[in-house]
Amino acid sequence: MKPLLSRKSSKKVGDFATVLPALLFLGVFVYYPVVQVVRISFTNWNLINDSYKYVGLKNWIWLFEGSGTKYLLNSLKVTFLYTLGELFVTIIGGMILAVIFNKLAKSFSIMRALVFLPKYIAMSSAAVVFLWILNTDNGILNYFIMKMGGTKVNWLGDKNRALLSILMLTGWRTIGYGMMIYLAAMRGISTNYYEAASIDGASKWTQFTRITLPLLSPTTLFLFVTTFISAMKVFQSVDVLTSGGPYRSTEVIVYMIYKYAMEDFRMDRASTVAVFFFIILLIITATTMKISNRSVNYDV
Amino acid sequence: MKKSLLLILSLLVVCSLAFAAGSGEKAQAPAAKISYEVTEPITIEWWHALEQQYWPLVDEIVGGFNNSNDLITVEAKYIGNYATVNENLVAAHAANSGVPAITVANTPYVAEYGKGGLTEDLTPYIKATGYDIDDFGEGMLVASAYEGKQVSLPFLISTQVMYYNKTMADKEGITIPAKFADMETFLKKATKKDASGTTTRWGTIVPGWDQWYFETFYLNNGVKIVNDDRMTTDLGGKASVAVTKQLQDYMNKGYAYWAAGTSASSTMRQNFLDGKAFSVIHTSSLYNLYTDLADFEVGMAWLPAGDTKKSEIGGSVILIPAKNDQKVKNAAWVFLQYLVGKEVNMRWADGSGYMPTRNSVLTTQEGEDFLKRKPAFKTIFDNLDEINPRIQHAGWNQLATIWKSNLDQIMLENTNVESQLKVMAEEINEVLADSE
Amino acid sequence: MTSDSKNTALNEEAMLLNQRAQTRKKMLNIGQYVLAILVTLVMFFPLYWMLITSVKSQQEVLRSLPTFWPREWHFENYANVFKRANFSKYYYNTTVMTVGILFSQVITGVLAGYGFSKGIFKGKNFLFVIVLGALMIPLQVTFIPLYIMFADWKLTDTFLGLILPLAVSPYYIFMMRQAFFSVDDSYVEAAKIDGMGRLGIITQVLVPMTKSTLITITLVTFTDGWNSYFWPKIIAKNEVRRVLTVGLVHLRNTFAGLDTMNNHEIMAGAVMAVLPVIILFFIFQKYMLTGYEKTAMK
Repeated sequence: MKPLLSRKSSKKVGDFATVLPALLFLGVFVYYPVVQVVRISFTNWNLINDSYKYVGLKNWIWLFEGSGTKYLLNSLKVTFLYTLGELFVTIIGGMILAVIFNKLAKSFSIMRALVFLPKYIAMSSAAVVFLWILNTDNGILNYFIMKMGGTKVNWLGDKNRALLSILMLTGWRTIGYGMMIYLAAMRGISTNYYEAASIDGASKWTQFTRITLPLLSPTTLFLFVTTFISAMKVFQSVDVLTSGGPYRSTEVIVYMIYKYAMEDFRMDRASTVAVFFFIILLIITATTMKISNRSVNYDV
Repeated sequence: MKKSLLLILSLLVVCSLAFAAGSGEKAQAPAAKISYEVTEPITIEWWHALEQQYWPLVDEIVGGFNNSNDLITVEAKYIGNYATVNENLVAAHAANSGVPAITVANTPYVAEYGKGGLTEDLTPYIKATGYDIDDFGEGMLVASAYEGKQVSLPFLISTQVMYYNKTMADKEGITIPAKFADMETFLKKATKKDASGTTTRWGTIVPGWDQWYFETFYLNNGVKIVNDDRMTTDLGGKASVAVTKQLQDYMNKGYAYWAAGTSASSTMRQNFLDGKAFSVIHTSSLYNLYTDLADFEVGMAWLPAGDTKKSEIGGSVILIPAKNDQKVKNAAWVFLQYLVGKEVNMRWADGSGYMPTRNSVLTTQEGEDFLKRKPAFKTIFDNLDEINPRIQHAGWNQLATIWKSNLDQIMLENTNVESQLKVMAEEINEVLADSE
Repeated sequence: MTSDSKNTALNEEAMLLNQRAQTRKKMLNIGQYVLAILVTLVMFFPLYWMLITSVKSQQEVLRSLPTFWPREWHFENYANVFKRANFSKYYYNTTVMTVGILFSQVITGVLAGYGFSKGIFKGKNFLFVIVLGALMIPLQVTFIPLYIMFADWKLTDTFLGLILPLAVSPYYIFMMRQAFFSVDDSYVEAAKIDGMGRLGIITQVLVPMTKSTLITITLVTFTDGWNSYFWPKIIAKNEVRRVLTVGLVHLRNTFAGLDTMNNHEIMAGAVMAVLPVIILFFIFQKYMLTGYEKTAMK
């Protein structure tokens, strides 16, 4: 009896050991920093000084009732606008492309690959290319616009267009992704549905709105949730294209945190914004999870 | 079973090694007696902010040093613009690793670095090696010191100027005004508009990406950017409002535009070179670049004055980060003397738009010879006494960021000057108090 | 006769209708082709423009009338990039970093994937929730303390510094757990009876059976690592450990204020930064195209 027990428990230890490295890493490099970032938000930590002290709620007051408030509100506005844009491109654009590219021909599979390829292009390379394309005086986009009778557009220097320019870049990278996800889901829909509908005399459009769309709702929800969270964290495209400018019109929240931390070295203020951002992310995640458990058609 | 345990153990060892790698000794015991001599071969890194166009000159100057010195080899590294150099330097200082042996720094950072203990006090080095610093312009020495300690030395010094299209000016009989009050008349004349009222040629362009360029308009019109109490600013005051309104007015009337945002600097240069702007406000260090690229004659003028006609020392000082081994510091000191030496300094002055830093050049026949080679620099030589050290404050960098972004908004969005500057001043007071 | 003629008329009408339906279908078909080609052209254009610009001369780049095919080929632009920025170093750094991330993510991911699917130990579900919870804590929130921590440990500008925060991926663990779940327990039991150890079961039974998932996720890990920017920019500012993505932006900065006229070299740098991933994409197209579908399907 005894040896059996010990063998069993040693097996348990062995199984536990397989997950231990991962847990240790996550503990040290993910969970512990969360505790730290909260702590730093109550200090006056400036990286250039060797010491720091606790200052209570000072940074939080700065953020909610001080000079930081307007920047926070601005960042939140910019971030949500951006997120809406990316959701629109990925979901609506992705779905339209999926309809266009839904064909089994060889030529289509090549084109699909080309449309999807930007997803794998490093953002910094893509951004540098877009800087060139969007250049006001020598950029090719303005050349096309002028060819068609328009006037030169200041894509990155105009506060009303800068965010749009960033969306062009990120949209270029994500639209193919949306397409691929939708295509996979569309192929999963049984053809029986469509055959039955054709017999009933339903038009293509009716078939799309009555069959395809509802059956794609889990996919749409998946895209919505993942895109939402990842769009909230946008940084690279902003960093390379506009550095948050012109006058903070593209200063998304992660860029705000980065600027306070790595340019002003105000670890205290940066951490405070970071903690607040984290809370927002948690709320969004919890809400979307709740929604996804409800009201979605899972009968595929 | 055993194998898997072994694997996990080895992973744990890797982890703990990673931890252990960090727990090294931090504090360095100060040596009782420091020797400032270089006794063995050493390679040191020099950080600079000189872009592509200067690289051949950098290679030549560093090569000259390496060839003449048996023990020390210098590797020059381009880091980025002054802001990037600052970011990397402070980060390296905080991390206590990856600090360069010697580095340039934009002039306003001297106080921040001095206060934070980032820079080595060069005074003992100067004493120990009997280095003569009296030949530097006095203002330049003040600009590179912090609380009486010589924490850096003047390196590539420039000042704010106005470049103008001399070919156009001669043809149209336009002169750059000496007084800020006459700007309006000048701009009206220099600006060209088409029938619909759209500007086709700007009178001037004001760089909004660095507050240094418009700073003097404020200083010369009686604005205290940092008050004497060092905790507050006068940027929300009457004088500041007046200057800002004046500038905003130029923008509204289409006389000038505010250069901000991505590629603002290159767009501004291009407009000037293409004849789409009569003049631009920029740094004297770009003189060679402008004259090389322009197909017209480039003139250089002092910025229009207010009550005073001061300008500020721009460009960079050179310093040795404190968190270096003594051996490295000694080698860096040798290279530093070479870099700021009179001969090398003249090479910079000739090969770029930076100014000679030595009294023995500025005030002697050598200066006259220099002016023969670069006549446009007469403006600067005539006003040498007007070039002042920068305002030094540990919170300067934050102040500048806030100021810039607010002026961007005022100029580009035409917002209400009084209310915006008032709110801005409160915000600046906060960061000044935090840093003092 | 009348009924006959009626019939033929009906027939004709039906045929006509049929024909119309067919031409309509054909038109739709052609329309779909045209649309697809147009979209592909627009989507591919930025990459084409990058490639084409990278071999142009400076003069041609600055022409006010752009050329869509280079008049002269200037491959030396690529060589020039190496003079401006240390791209060979960036390649080396990026490769070591990516491989490091890959190894640690694969090892920890496969092991933990096993533990959380086939393993038996106390608190398994609770611990798995902890792993999933980490998915909700992005680097963008924790980078400040991580940076300070790494600075204390002298890990700035080191490979360890670049790799450690990305060494374990909850996503990887989650995917491997799903994949191992799909393998029937009887295979594992049979292997145990054959006297195989835990590692043997993982490497010789489970991994071969879930190969395509493994390859797919690993490719995703690879490209994510290769393309990463946020953390490398913070932790490895200096040339010794600068990676390609950060190095490309640095290359652009070296032309400060003169970037427009040097876009041919900047584009050459961009091409070099993305080339390995593009090559990988075409080799492993099958996996890379399905990679994201898998995550969507769950």
